[in-house]
Amino acid sequence: MTQSRDRRDGPNAEGFHLPQIARVVRAEDLTWQDRLIEIALPQGRELGHRPGQFVQVSALGYGEAPISVSSGPENKESFDLCVRRIGNVTTALHALQPGDPVGIRGPFGNGFPMDHLVGRDCLVVAGGIGLAPLRSVIHSILADRDRYGRLIVLHGARRMEDILFADEIAAWQRDPRNEVLLTVDEPTTEWSGHVGVITTLFPNIEVDPANLVVVAMVGPPVMYRFVILELRRLGVGNDQMFMSLERHMKCGVGKCGHCQIDGRCVCVDGPVFSGSEIMAMHEAI
Amino acid sequence: MRDRQVRPLSALSPDEVGRLLARAMESASVLAPVRRGRSSFAFAWIQDPAEAVFSYPRTILPPKQALLPPREDLFTFERAPEPVIRPPAAPGPITLFGVHPCDLAAIGQLDWAMQSRHDITDPNYAARRAETTIIGLECLPDEYCFCPSVGTANTREGADLFLTPIGDGFVAEALTEKGNALLGSVEEARPPTPEELAVWKGWADNKESRASRRLEARPEELPDLLEAEYESEVWEATAARCYGCGTCTSVCPTCFCFDVEDMVEVGLASGARRRQYDSCQFPDFALVAGGHNFRGERPDRVRHRWFRKFVYLNREHGRAFCVGCGRCTKACTADIGLVEVLNAVIAEARREEAE
Repeated sequence: MTQSRDRRDGPNAEGFHLPQIARVVRAEDLTWQDRLIEIALPQGRELGHRPGQFVQVSALGYGEAPISVSSGPENKESFDLCVRRIGNVTTALHALQPGDPVGIRGPFGNGFPMDHLVGRDCLVVAGGIGLAPLRSVIHSILADRDRYGRLIVLHGARRMEDILFADEIAAWQRDPRNEVLLTVDEPTTEWSGHVGVITTLFPNIEVDPANLVVVAMVGPPVMYRFVILELRRLGVGNDQMFMSLERHMKCGVGKCGHCQIDGRCVCVDGPVFSGSEIMAMHEAI
Repeated sequence: MRDRQVRPLSALSPDEVGRLLARAMESASVLAPVRRGRSSFAFAWIQDPAEAVFSYPRTILPPKQALLPPREDLFTFERAPEPVIRPPAAPGPITLFGVHPCDLAAIGQLDWAMQSRHDITDPNYAARRAETTIIGLECLPDEYCFCPSVGTANTREGADLFLTPIGDGFVAEALTEKGNALLGSVEEARPPTPEELAVWKGWADNKESRASRRLEARPEELPDLLEAEYESEVWEATAARCYGCGTCTSVCPTCFCFDVEDMVEVGLASGARRRQYDSCQFPDFALVAGGHNFRGERPDRVRHRWFRKFVYLNREHGRAFCVGCGRCTKACTADIGLVEVLNAVIAEARREEAE
């Protein structure tokens, strides 16, 4: 693997099970179901995450949920979470207002192999809320734009109103080195763009597979399988694709067993796995 | 195994072991096997040395409960006006008495899982483990035991002091400074006689020959054999009998999976984040927020239990995560035998290999 696998830099004994009490800096609805929550750690501490890592977010009394960091590491004062309202914890997190306390543990996991992306074109394949962790990769690229080649983003959402970061997407597209292709599954009359699942966007892009790195998070396992088929068709090798996998990490530190795929713990060995690693596991997708 | 001869050996009478136990109780909470009903035994925090039994086939639950309790607060909290988080109190000294070799080996496995795996140490486990003294106790296999098959029958791993019943008394091996100190507290301890030493030396062979259940492969062969049978019908057949009750994982001395949830007091102002044993055999164990269940079918979950113990962790750690204690088989509500399932898979793998 090209990425750092140092597991000691996240959890420390002091804060192991104990969240830090952080503060909400900004909270705003992104869609009817997703809320952007910007968080600052106490005493101006830096989260120090890599793109693709996650934190365990506490709503005391409700519990804890693993949520990917949605911003790049270049912002040292605060970080973004994009929280979809699904269960008790995320519903409680949606009620947070600026100034409110929120518990944070982490960052956890390996993250995307950013070193591997330097000097290459990057294809981001983001299904639904998958754009949340991938936005941290995009931010990293945009913050140091000249180190990277083309940035191609495919984002699929169920409906137009589910598209995440619509304003930002418009800004990304202003740089000619960036392309963003959007698609929705269920079009409404206002939608004039592409219709279909995310894999139907692949015929619309041209890439140089020899110089390409793919980062992806696309939802249920079946979508991963179809995305991998499309990538193969483009000539992308298994070691050029890196996918973030979803599991319910309870502890974040490789103990609780919930996120295990075959013999790997998603919380420490992942959540990002290469195509080769995914192919070698029975339970991955 | 270390050479048995280099260790200081002492002979103790049952009364002297009782005094040793009383001595341990002066400075530590003591978890010891006690009788529960006619033929059942359990580890319990004893108040009187007389509660402890010196001979028992197996306890229903392993001594794991002292190091990884079935339920524990990771912290307590107050929610308002400002959140306050309080770490748990530091644990006091613990002595585990009467731990059979299989359970010693299991504690060794837990030590690795909770303290070393991924280079990440669970502070709650480590704090309790550092305060723990272990007095092992020799035993003889019954019809559920298969410790010789997984190499745990004669281990002294992790024990500070180890007792082997000889005639009316015991031969005690002091294995650490802690064990030596404990033994030193029994003034009457004397060196064993040559006859006692001969019995003590013969114990290991006796155990090997007594265990009737046997694995048809060595533990280190299991990863490849099972991997070849990932799609075996044995998993389906076993799942068809399994109720998914999670008893096997609850009684297992090496299982360490847990769930974490917040418990709030009735006024909602305060509460605790609690972890408790969980089971990979429960349907929602691998469920994620979007609704996908990564082991949604019972055969997936049944296979996962065997694979986790004999493939994944076996490969990662170089030791099967099973110590042959027989608890899961004895406790299974559907009479599923761990060894029988493994042997069926092994036979299938060998048959296909031969073809």
